[in-house]
Amino acid sequence: MSEFILEMRNISKSFAGVQALKDVTFRCRPGRVYGLVGENGAGKSTLMKILAGAYRADAGEIIYKGEKRDQASAGEVIDSGISIIYQELALVRQMSVAENIFLGREPRYALGLLNLSELHRRAAALLKRLGIRLDTSLPVSELTVAQRQLVEIAKALSQNADLIVMDEPSAILAGSELEQLFGIIESLVDEGVTIIYISHRLEEVFRIASEVTVLKDGELVDTRPIDQLDRPTLVEMMVGRPLNEIFPQTEHEQGELVLVAEKISTDTILEEASLELYAGEILGVAGMVGSGRTELARALFGADPLTSGKIALVGGKSARWGNPAQAIDSGLVLVPEDRKTHGLFTSLPVRINVTLPILSRISRFGVLKFQAEDEIVEGARARLSIVMASPDQEAQYLSGGNQQKVVLAKWLETNPAVVILDEPTRGVDVGAKFEIYRLMRQLNDRGIAIVMISSELPEIIGMSDRILVMNHGRIVGEVAQEDATEAGIIELATMAAAGANRA
Amino acid sequence: MNASLRLFGGLSASQRLFLRRYGPIFAVYGFIVVLFIIGATQSERFLTVRNLTNVARQSAFLGIIALGQMLVILTAGIDLSVGSLVKLSILVSAIVMDGQTENQGAAIVATLGLGLLVGLIHAFLVNEVKIAPFIVTLASLGILRGISLSISTSPVGSASKPFIMFYVQKIGPIPVIAVMFFALLALTALLLRYTAFGKYLYAIGGNIEVAHLSGVPVKLTRYGVYVICSVSAAITGLLWLSRMGVGDPAIGDGLELQAITAVIIGGTSLFGGRGTVIGTLGGVLLLGVTANLLVMLGVNQFVQGLIQGIIIVAAVALYKQEGD
Ligand SMILES: Nc1ncnc2c1ncn2[C@@H]1O[C@H](COP(=O)(O)OP(=O)(O)OP(=O)(O)O)[C@@H](O)[C@H]1O
Ligand SMILES: [Mg+2]
Repeated sequence: MSEFILEMRNISKSFAGVQALKDVTFRCRPGRVYGLVGENGAGKSTLMKILAGAYRADAGEIIYKGEKRDQASAGEVIDSGISIIYQELALVRQMSVAENIFLGREPRYALGLLNLSELHRRAAALLKRLGIRLDTSLPVSELTVAQRQLVEIAKALSQNADLIVMDEPSAILAGSELEQLFGIIESLVDEGVTIIYISHRLEEVFRIASEVTVLKDGELVDTRPIDQLDRPTLVEMMVGRPLNEIFPQTEHEQGELVLVAEKISTDTILEEASLELYAGEILGVAGMVGSGRTELARALFGADPLTSGKIALVGGKSARWGNPAQAIDSGLVLVPEDRKTHGLFTSLPVRINVTLPILSRISRFGVLKFQAEDEIVEGARARLSIVMASPDQEAQYLSGGNQQKVVLAKWLETNPAVVILDEPTRGVDVGAKFEIYRLMRQLNDRGIAIVMISSELPEIIGMSDRILVMNHGRIVGEVAQEDATEAGIIELATMAAAGANRA
Repeated sequence: MNASLRLFGGLSASQRLFLRRYGPIFAVYGFIVVLFIIGATQSERFLTVRNLTNVARQSAFLGIIALGQMLVILTAGIDLSVGSLVKLSILVSAIVMDGQTENQGAAIVATLGLGLLVGLIHAFLVNEVKIAPFIVTLASLGILRGISLSISTSPVGSASKPFIMFYVQKIGPIPVIAVMFFALLALTALLLRYTAFGKYLYAIGGNIEVAHLSGVPVKLTRYGVYVICSVSAAITGLLWLSRMGVGDPAIGDGLELQAITAVIIGGTSLFGGRGTVIGTLGGVLLLGVTANLLVMLGVNQFVQGLIQGIIIVAAVALYKQEGD
């Protein structure tokens, strides 16, 4: 038996002309954490999907636990002790939490009938281990994105795997949830489980990985022990050139008031939130997952009707809107957090995804001007460095980060006055992240006000001119950029007192 | 997320969820009650044992194929061929039985075998040849109908005496056929709740990709569900033979649409992943009672189609409130 639990040798894979992986070799020893990093579209998820049996490699071989593995079905791979947490959440929305966790491996009685009480008991136990309390009979459609992510992790744990692949598990987790995840990873590693950890948040990789593998454009750059690496070196390996990771700052003074919300509540957790937004600034919204940040965004956008309070857009065409269409007309746009369900037409080409909101602007007498369309799509591709085979490629085939850029591009074409960004850099690679930051500052320079919701504290602190902290549906504090520290924000966000009236 | 939900402001999240999911089904049953009240007050023949027995029997005929159809629709599939298969089944069973009691067993086996075979072929084409269920079963609708009508365009074969008696047999006041339907109903409910197979139907309809990646035996489950659906049509064919006494090739036309209608009124999503047995029962009863009542009230049968159409739209509008 070799020292490796897994060896993927000389793997190649192409999709209809796109070479996603070229001769990649990747090895893991048992009981360690492997960081797998690389730009959007580098081939990380593809490599893991080949491991999962979801894709078949064009060339190369997989040796798992000392044996060469032939093409296996997803079920066989799970049975062999490999579980995967997919980047794009893989849960059946209509089914309950417990049913999702044990899908395909439900506890049964002798006769083959399901043991439902055991199903729910075991699901609850797993969730408890993850430190979350959730009704296991709730359908997944009722959960927040972060809760779904935790259910996904519980599902992987339930499979008692020897090797767990986590494809950007932390993208929507913040603060204490992240700590919980790391705690779990550490205890799994102590039990001898191997973890492959994919993330664009390099500080996490430095925190938990023992070795790091870098992919670029489908090729292996190198695998190195973490202690032989520092952050700039790693970034350079990923991007192919040195990258200056300094948050761009705004150049000018606070602008005029553009939007006021007074004590707004909706039929969700959101309660009496008030805020003011000024032209050309970035207002950061921090808080734990489920603290009402997304609900605040939806309320501002008119996606959830207000039950009390009011919103006014100063100097805009209309000061009231009851639905998103009116909000968009008034110059307000929302880039939602869950791009697959709310932001992207996955089965339509990139071209349409980018130009959909402005089709009337690039048509004459209702007929599309293709040249104008091409220019816009090309412009977006260049500005945001979107990696795609062609503008006619379906959005579902872009890598996760590139999908996010397409969603951003779509809204930026509408020339809004206020842009609400819910987790704008989720799943976006370092290079592109800083491009998005620069883009945000360019919007600021044009006088556009930005509300940015983020779970990533360095980003919140680095980019926001002011930071609102949410806790249990309420805004519990405002911090100026100069005074902001991670510890200070976490303290506000987790303070028990604010939630006392709801618990 | 919408105005109607805010009416339930005082309820807890799980109570609201319950109402949102099952509210429309309550509405369907409420409507059935309304129909009963109309029937009782407007027609003296409606609330008689004789008429209600009739309604129960007729609902059973539709109900059995509606159950099979529902299972297929849960997987985001559809089976358009059930009407034609009922037609072929009544012919095959009548010809094989040929009025002889001793042929009964052979006729039942042959008919159920036919259902099994058709179901396997459907699943094979969907699973291995990867043709959409709509297309597979649309083709099958034409083919099975063609085979039936080339066997005979006029009644052929006949049922044995005991087999004809089956139709009128009762357990207490309830027709055996209705009892049979209720047994199948209970069985389906148990299947959906207590077996992995049942959960897999929802999983496949909810998100086939996720089901696949979770190791759900997608193909096997599909073989199962298409076979169940076709066998339910074969059983219905046998019941029709019991009722008609001969192999009447006029039977079965349009049944697939009736069954699909009942399933939709019952709240099963045509996109898969959502649906309940109790809802389907409501859909079947609503159609059965409406049809019966319209006859009782002497409404002409073209108006009946119109009213059915309105019911579908109303029901689906109701379920839309459920949101996502
Ligand atoms: N099913 C598919 N069909 C066509 N092209 C695909 C498909 N899946 C992936 N690709 C392409 O393969 C390349 C690698 O994609 P992959 O998803 O593996 O990247 P990634 O490293 O996971 O990126 P990210 O960090 O954005 O998730 C991309 O160029 C992508 O467009
Ligand atoms: Mg990926």
